[in-house]
Amino acid sequence: MDTLVARYSRPAYHENEDFSEEERQGLVDSVPSLSLKFAMPPVAHPSAWLRAATDDRSNPSCPIKIAHGTTTLAFRFQGGIIVATDSRATAGNWIASQTVKKVIEINSDLLGTMAGGAADCQYWLAWLGMQCRLHELRHKRRISVAAASKILANLVYQYKGMGLSMGTMCAGVTKEEGPALYYIDSDGTRLAGNLFCVGSGQTFAYGVLDAEYRYDLSVEDALELGSRSILAATHRDAYSGGFINLYHVKESGWEKHGFSDTNPIFWKTKLEKGEFSNVTSDLSERV
Amino acid sequence: MSSPFSINGGACVAMVGKDCVAIACDLRLGLQALTVSNNFPKIFQYGDNVFLGLTGLATDLSTVSDLFRYKVNMYRLREERNIAPKTFANLPFICGFDSIGCIDFAADFIVSGTATDQLYGMCESLWEPNLAPEDLFETISQALMSAVDRDALSGWGAYVYIIEKDKVTKRLLKGRQD
Amino acid sequence: MEVLLGITGRDFTLIAASKAAMRGATILKASDDKTRQLNKHTLMAFMGEAGDTVQFAEYIQANAQLYSMRNETDLSPSALAHFVRGELASSLRSRKPYNVNLLLGGVDPITHKPSLYWLDYLAALAPLPYAAHGYAQYYCLSILDKHHHPDISLEQGIKLLTLCIDELKRRLPVDFKGMVVKAVTKDGIVDIEFDDDKVVKSA
Repeated sequence: MDTLVARYSRPAYHENEDFSEEERQGLVDSVPSLSLKFAMPPVAHPSAWLRAATDDRSNPSCPIKIAHGTTTLAFRFQGGIIVATDSRATAGNWIASQTVKKVIEINSDLLGTMAGGAADCQYWLAWLGMQCRLHELRHKRRISVAAASKILANLVYQYKGMGLSMGTMCAGVTKEEGPALYYIDSDGTRLAGNLFCVGSGQTFAYGVLDAEYRYDLSVEDALELGSRSILAATHRDAYSGGFINLYHVKESGWEKHGFSDTNPIFWKTKLEKGEFSNVTSDLSERV
Repeated sequence: MSSPFSINGGACVAMVGKDCVAIACDLRLGLQALTVSNNFPKIFQYGDNVFLGLTGLATDLSTVSDLFRYKVNMYRLREERNIAPKTFANLPFICGFDSIGCIDFAADFIVSGTATDQLYGMCESLWEPNLAPEDLFETISQALMSAVDRDALSGWGAYVYIIEKDKVTKRLLKGRQD
Repeated sequence: MEVLLGITGRDFTLIAASKAAMRGATILKASDDKTRQLNKHTLMAFMGEAGDTVQFAEYIQANAQLYSMRNETDLSPSALAHFVRGELASSLRSRKPYNVNLLLGGVDPITHKPSLYWLDYLAALAPLPYAAHGYAQYYCLSILDKHHHPDISLEQGIKLLTLCIDELKRRLPVDFKGMVVKAVTKDGIVDIEFDDDKVVKSA
């Protein structure tokens, strides 16, 4: 009996507490496993259980409502990369927040965007930031955007089918790559490209962006086009809105260009440029 | 998600004041998440001081409002007078109906649409008895605008009618367009 | 993946409809005309369930023409739009509803004011300065929000339409085989030559 107890219990306090050989190996191990361990819900099929609890399409009164509505965009141009997002979070038709930060600052050089499950994106992009930092410490140089995006893509692929929901873009400018932009989603898709829009408002943003996009856009025009594309999406998509979060990524790192309320921007755009002719602004005006 | 009551979105609210009533609606017509029109009023006039606000499936708003217009016009031709029953003529009065015809007489306010939860909250906190026309306008406008700003399926501007014994004032509210 | 687009301008209404008639994974016809003329200055474009579309459109067309013959006057675009809505609304609550989405464009014969009506299969009716049906709504409405003005000329209208169709060619995964484009003016309905062979490059 005593031998059994000794085997399965540990003293609460050791005077010279030391790590076992195995634990020490774990601490100094320079390449931690990509797959982390999570506490699983105590049910037979955790992924099926999660799906049942979060799928608001098949079950509108599901207990966990994941924020799905979003518009995010990023595009490459001669001056770097523009990243822009809206800031609305919805749970069903309820607007839960108008001030969500959907651009995630992975580090001072890399940006990620958030669409799909907010928690998934925040957690895994923060984790990606950690991996990027470890890469710098190990190799004494910045990680390429290609490598960083692949770490994330490989990670989400390991979790495929287990309920992760994310559509993200990784943007960064490095000396070797120039402006580099990658799209990664929870299916495991990873694509390099010039221009991506992600979220429920993506099509509206694509419409405005594609019509005037050129690689040789000036920085000023590129910022305006990014902002205008988000505005277009917030106007037409009920699940996008709030504020326009605008970033410019350069080789020296990213630069923030405001977190601006769409309301004054909309009326300025309508009244000064005559756009949005479908919106009534005068009581006597009729279609 | 695709209940007929929330396909097109929309919100309506009516309030009682002192010798006046107010009724207001948003202007959105949507198809689920897509905003199709930003100029789709949901309040219909049936006499000098009789107004009806409708929310729900857009097709039924048109059908019901057209049917009422037909019936009211027939009444006017038959009776050779406006539809102004004694109760409507002088008494500021509001009431609500659910979609199967149950009447809700209210002494304070009535709300309907996809933003009802938000509207109840706003009206419960902002409304007080015996508001003068200008104050009633302020109250109903604040209530509606704040409510639809927390509902994804309504908003995009609003119309407010202030109905007094001898005049009706219609105002456009330039709401958030997102 | 059918495309319907409508744009009003200073003195015209443009209606455009995709030419592909699709059944499942097959394109049965690449020169389909999804529009019907209701009278001299009203044109209706339709999309939706196979069979329902043409049946409903031609039923409306016949009734509009019957009205014109009986009364020696045409119904206005607004009157026709409300008539169509009424028919669609009563069909909606019948045993077998028509599953048809419509755009109705016209120019008022008296005031010469252009108009455009958007109707979906649920018989919701909205008068709009520009409208679309199907996936085109999701790509084109934001473009039109930015580039449309109420007093554009027909030439500018066609340019705007090209901007929209270029985006659809760029982003829609299925080829819709080009567009039938027609303009309603006070003098009647004119076919517009439209370049379907233009190749659009993706960004």
